[in-house]
Amino acid sequence: MEVARLGGLELVAEGVVEGFLAGLHRSPRRGFSVEFAEHRMYQPGDDLRYVDWKILGRNDRLYVKQYEEETNLRAVVVADVSRSMAWTGDAEVRLSKLAYAQRLIAALTLVLQRQRDATGLIAFDDAVRAMVPPRARISHWRQLLVTLGDLEAGHGTAAEPALRRVIDQLRRRGLVVFVSDLLFDRPLALKALRFLRHRGHQVIVLHVMDPGEVTLQGPAEARFEDPETRAAVVLRPKDWARPYRETVESVISAWRLACRRHGIAYHPVRTDTPFGTVLRQVAASHPT
Amino acid sequence: MIGFLHPWLLAGLAAAGIPIVLHLLERREPPTVVFPAVRYLIAATEQHQRRLRLQNWLLLLLRTLFIVLLVLAAAGPTVRAGHVAGHAPSAMVIIVDNSASSGAVVEGTPRLATLRSAAIRVLAQATPDDALWVITADGTPRRGDPRTLTTLVNQLTPSPRRLDLGTALATAGEVLAPENRPGEVVVVTDLQATAVTPAELEFPVLVIRPGQPPPRNVGIASLSLGNQPWPQDGGRAVVTLTGDSGTPVPVSVRVGERTGRQALGSVNGAVTLTLPGAPPGWWPVTAELDPDELRADDRRSGLVRIAPAARVRWDPAERYVAAAADVLERNRRISRGDEVTIGRLERGISIVEPPADVAQLGALNRALERRGVTWTYGTLVTGSETADSAVGPGGIRVFKRYVLEPSGSGRTGVVARVNRSPWLVRSSNVVLLGSRLDPSWTELPVSAAFMPFMDLLLNRIARGELAVVDAAPGDQVSLPDRVTEVRRNGEQWPAEGGAGFQPTEPGLYFLLAERDTVGALEVNVDPRESRLAPAPDEQVRKLWRARVVGPDAADSAVFASAARGDLRGPLLWAGLLLGLTEMGLASAWRRGS
Repeated sequence: MEVARLGGLELVAEGVVEGFLAGLHRSPRRGFSVEFAEHRMYQPGDDLRYVDWKILGRNDRLYVKQYEEETNLRAVVVADVSRSMAWTGDAEVRLSKLAYAQRLIAALTLVLQRQRDATGLIAFDDAVRAMVPPRARISHWRQLLVTLGDLEAGHGTAAEPALRRVIDQLRRRGLVVFVSDLLFDRPLALKALRFLRHRGHQVIVLHVMDPGEVTLQGPAEARFEDPETRAAVVLRPKDWARPYRETVESVISAWRLACRRHGIAYHPVRTDTPFGTVLRQVAASHPT
Repeated sequence: MIGFLHPWLLAGLAAAGIPIVLHLLERREPPTVVFPAVRYLIAATEQHQRRLRLQNWLLLLLRTLFIVLLVLAAAGPTVRAGHVAGHAPSAMVIIVDNSASSGAVVEGTPRLATLRSAAIRVLAQATPDDALWVITADGTPRRGDPRTLTTLVNQLTPSPRRLDLGTALATAGEVLAPENRPGEVVVVTDLQATAVTPAELEFPVLVIRPGQPPPRNVGIASLSLGNQPWPQDGGRAVVTLTGDSGTPVPVSVRVGERTGRQALGSVNGAVTLTLPGAPPGWWPVTAELDPDELRADDRRSGLVRIAPAARVRWDPAERYVAAAADVLERNRRISRGDEVTIGRLERGISIVEPPADVAQLGALNRALERRGVTWTYGTLVTGSETADSAVGPGGIRVFKRYVLEPSGSGRTGVVARVNRSPWLVRSSNVVLLGSRLDPSWTELPVSAAFMPFMDLLLNRIARGELAVVDAAPGDQVSLPDRVTEVRRNGEQWPAEGGAGFQPTEPGLYFLLAERDTVGALEVNVDPRESRLAPAPDEQVRKLWRARVVGPDAADSAVFASAARGDLRGPLLWAGLLLGLTEMGLASAWRRGS
């Protein structure tokens, strides 16, 4: 975690993924399309369709285009960058939810890239703030990292438009990873997620929570204020710790139940959880 | 209904507001905490708000009640309740009537023994938390713990004094008034009717009186020895009897140790006995009855001065003085002679009247100074005034007088006063009158008191002999001005003339001015003690709003009149229970949350 706080997204993601991806194979699935990978000298028997006629014209040498088989998986990570994601219960010890999500997404996309999966990114708050279309090139991950690194906490949260934009990005069946603290209207978000699911996409919801949101703490009495809506409530944490915990548990249960009902994978993720652990949990439930 | 031992501590009830104030202070402007999951908090409060609010109010109520109970317990609440096992810390005055009548023997047992026993049973019900006083016949409240007062009561003997129960109750009320705890007065008495006088008391009174009727008693009410001094051939003594016996009893009277005279006398009747003479001097005279159940009133003492009649020289021109002197001479109370001169200043004993002519006043004052008299005539005062001295013409009006002014210091020799100013004084062997013995100066010459006054003036005041004063044990007696010492049976007390003296025992007390005996104090048991008939219970109930019980009911009746249960224990227990409940609930709820 200390490395996560100090290092860049790339360093952290690679460190995490190096330990995680050992032994993983490329996707065994064959797709209908291929993507250019490199050139090699023509050898007899090669399919003439793959001769690069442009190089022959310029250099008078026969090269064939070699294509890497592309998986049928296109993945889009939908990241919540609303203001609530910038919160941490203890800035001295833990990353904010956004910082944690950035590193987790970096690691996750690196895993997908290494599997030659086309990976894209959509960031949203009350609107879509950034979008990187899915690509399978290894250099594409760098672009994702740049976009991830530029993300800053925005304003309110409106997940539904972002999720609808995913439909545009995934014309074939693919994977949608929704990373958010889920502090918005559940039925509306569920409606969009359900729609994605109906379109045949695999949907994974990573519910990012700071430990301070799981266990209520604070002064003897305090005015708790929502950074997005400015809604506030005055109470004594000592008195309300238990009811709050019960409410959080019921919210998690409700999300888990609703997701399971629609074939959506749901993973509550605390920001004090090692990234590798989260990746293993996701991989265990959704082998790619 | 509910009383408090320390009601001022109830001011501490204001502390009951502390939990509420703390609650309000805590609520004032709490810090703001940015918290994204406020929606969860709102959802939690919507579900649990009612329960938590109820819990908080319950805790607040318990804490407030806890403080209220502690403050109430500190204030020492008591509640009136019958048949309570104990009693609240109380203040109690026990009046033990050991007056002279308590010496009566009833059915072989001294009445005081019965009263002592009842008083001790009362004290046995007291606790160390009670404030206790005992008042006996001397009227002095004595405070102590139950053990000390039990010892005191055990050592009580019949006092020669009379105890006025109304006065004792008033004293008890004064003793109890400053006390904040429940007060009660217990009167252990033979309930002599003559001792029952009205009293206003705010405290409950319990009267414990013996059930057996008192014996029929006869006592000597008075011994009168007539005008003094007696001539050497004797005089007459008049003895009156009092009590409640109808049987005639023999009365004997004797002068000194000489053989007495006897006669039969009856209650409320007088017996006159002629007694033989004796050589000049002061002689004790004793009247006695045969012993009966109450011995204290069977003997009475008096003192008689035996001396030849004064030899007086008077001015026949002074109408009223001359008329009185003639009468006294005919009755052999005085004789003509030059021992005492009345009206002007002469050699020997002189009784001086102020001159009718003011022009002669200066010459008279100068002559008085030459004689070494420490008094002179001052300014003339007119207007109706009243003589206020008990010795001499008390109650007589004076219309005109000269102010008698002392020219020396020390003992003044004042015999009688008018309006607190000296009116009759004696210095050296000269007696000065502030007014002339004339109706235009004073009404004395035309009043019935004039003849006794002239007898007293010529035979005793002029000779330097003052009055013989009657008193009862414990009375406060004002001594004549010239007295320097009081003496009795070898005991002697230095005295300041004009000051008070309180004889404690019956008997004869001689009043001395330097070496001369100038008077006597006859101290005898108050005759009201001889009438042993008790007051009816109903009268006592009405008079003092008291409960009346017999000695057997003493221990059960006492403290029941103020039977107040002490609520401190229950309140402290309730407070402890509340405190534990609050701690238990708060900790359980805290653990739960």
